[in-house]
Amino acid sequence: MSKFNALVHNENVKIYSRARTWIMLLLLAVFSVLIPVLIYVNSTPENMPGQWDGFQITLSVIFNLTTIFTVVIASDAIAGEFSWGTIKLLLIRPWSRSKILLSKYISMVLFSLLTTLLMTVCAFAASLILLPSGGAGMTQGGWSPEAYSGMLIVCRYVELFLTATLAFMVSSVFRASGLAIGLSLFIIFVKNLFITIFNPDRFEWAKYLPFSHMDLSGYLVSDRGPGGVALSFSIGVLAAYYVLFLLLAWVVFSRRDVAG
Amino acid sequence: MTGNTAVTEPVARLLGVTKKIGSKTLVGDLTLDIPAGQVFGFLGPNGAGKTTTIRMMVGLISISRGDIVIGGRSIKTDFEEAVAQVGAIVENPEMYKFLTGYQNLKQYARMVSGVNKQRIQEVIDLVGLGSRIHDKVKSYSLGMRQRLGVAQALLHRPKLLILDEPTNGLDPQGIRELRDYLRRLCREEGTTVFVSSHLLSEMELMCDSVAIIQNGKLIDVRRLKNEEGTQTPGGEFVFEVDDLQTAQTLIGGTVRNGEGIVVQTVREDIPELNAKLVSGGVRVYGIKEVVVSLEDQFLEMTGGEGIE
Repeated sequence: MSKFNALVHNENVKIYSRARTWIMLLLLAVFSVLIPVLIYVNSTPENMPGQWDGFQITLSVIFNLTTIFTVVIASDAIAGEFSWGTIKLLLIRPWSRSKILLSKYISMVLFSLLTTLLMTVCAFAASLILLPSGGAGMTQGGWSPEAYSGMLIVCRYVELFLTATLAFMVSSVFRASGLAIGLSLFIIFVKNLFITIFNPDRFEWAKYLPFSHMDLSGYLVSDRGPGGVALSFSIGVLAAYYVLFLLLAWVVFSRRDVAG
Repeated sequence: MTGNTAVTEPVARLLGVTKKIGSKTLVGDLTLDIPAGQVFGFLGPNGAGKTTTIRMMVGLISISRGDIVIGGRSIKTDFEEAVAQVGAIVENPEMYKFLTGYQNLKQYARMVSGVNKQRIQEVIDLVGLGSRIHDKVKSYSLGMRQRLGVAQALLHRPKLLILDEPTNGLDPQGIRELRDYLRRLCREEGTTVFVSSHLLSEMELMCDSVAIIQNGKLIDVRRLKNEEGTQTPGGEFVFEVDDLQTAQTLIGGTVRNGEGIVVQTVREDIPELNAKLVSGGVRVYGIKEVVVSLEDQFLEMTGGEGIE
């Protein structure tokens, strides 16, 4: 048997051989640079935000794009093989379905890391060059600007990671990339509205839903999260949903009859 | 001479294979041995369960009851080892259109051990894709995709090559080429080929043996060619004579209007029968073997139903 790495390599080839992947990466780089440029152009020397402020603003805007692009890749991972018909040739190799699914998941995670890194580097470089040094306005709770920015990236990445895993699961269960993309985007955009309507402070059950826990950045400045829960509770809820999504994706994928 | 192939262990064995979806039985209790070194046809009308059976053989769908053993390994419990001995195209050969033919082959080469550049080139030469292998698959014609499909199936030198309706959508020349290299493969590399089709005449030309399936049930398995690759000697001969009654009293047989008298016999006895007729004063105009085509046999067996 050849090595598992080869499977991940195969998945990577499928992702990076397509023009749309490079278009997404290019767009991401352009927008990550564009936000600091816009901040620079639209400010007077007196009210120009510092480079850390500019960096954090850029991150909070562009992370949505990073999430969407990762969701696009995650949604196509399995649904694409079904719609192309190539699933029939993929599953008749001497590899278990679990390993094939895992290789797809890993390649998706690698893509999410790449997009996050690309965005971070572009946004940081542009902020560093264009904006004046210093500026720790968004830093609270005794964090240094570097550490706060780093933690912000980690928190937003957790959100991206869970959303992409959801898209991956929908892609496996329904074999429809459109549905996976649509549902994930719906959650990204409706999440905050949902939290407002079903506020965990008022509705006890709402704190068992993942929505209010997906943005962990609140814990950077406060010990208590939505509904008065602790960080460990939020992490527990997110972990439970994560395992549930992966389990669903795995059970459906490994048992499915591939016909028609 | 004929004994050799019979003694060899079958490449694949279907043991009471059943596939049920809900209350509907798609394939029922199918038991079949696929002998090594043959081009083995799997024949049946559309919807008879051919593709369902093939999908079970390569593990794409689960087996409700029974088991399929390939090279001694169960596809149910020992999937990776069993399927490693199989190369297959299930229905149309679907490839990654945004990759070149060569990149597609490399995808599958990476998933098995022991396939190097040289082997990839070998199969490209075998299926005759030439320099077009470096073009994107989206620019390929159906015939070229079919060739690429065969190439990916052969890459790891499988013992058993499974092709589901391989002649679908091919032009007559493509069909002929496919037939030729399947036979060559079988002869030169000893690969067993299991090929499904609803095209009877095609199967007759291509296969050594056929299994006939209808409504998910195996109806018959028969050998079409003997070792020399000729038709098996049929048992029925027609004598064209002037006086049917006299002829019948002399040599027996049955009278068939418009044709003559039909006798059940072996080839060696024909001169003797002819001598009897001649000495009995019957004029013989012609003697010929009644060749029952696979199509006639098939229609007879399936009651002429459900065939395209």
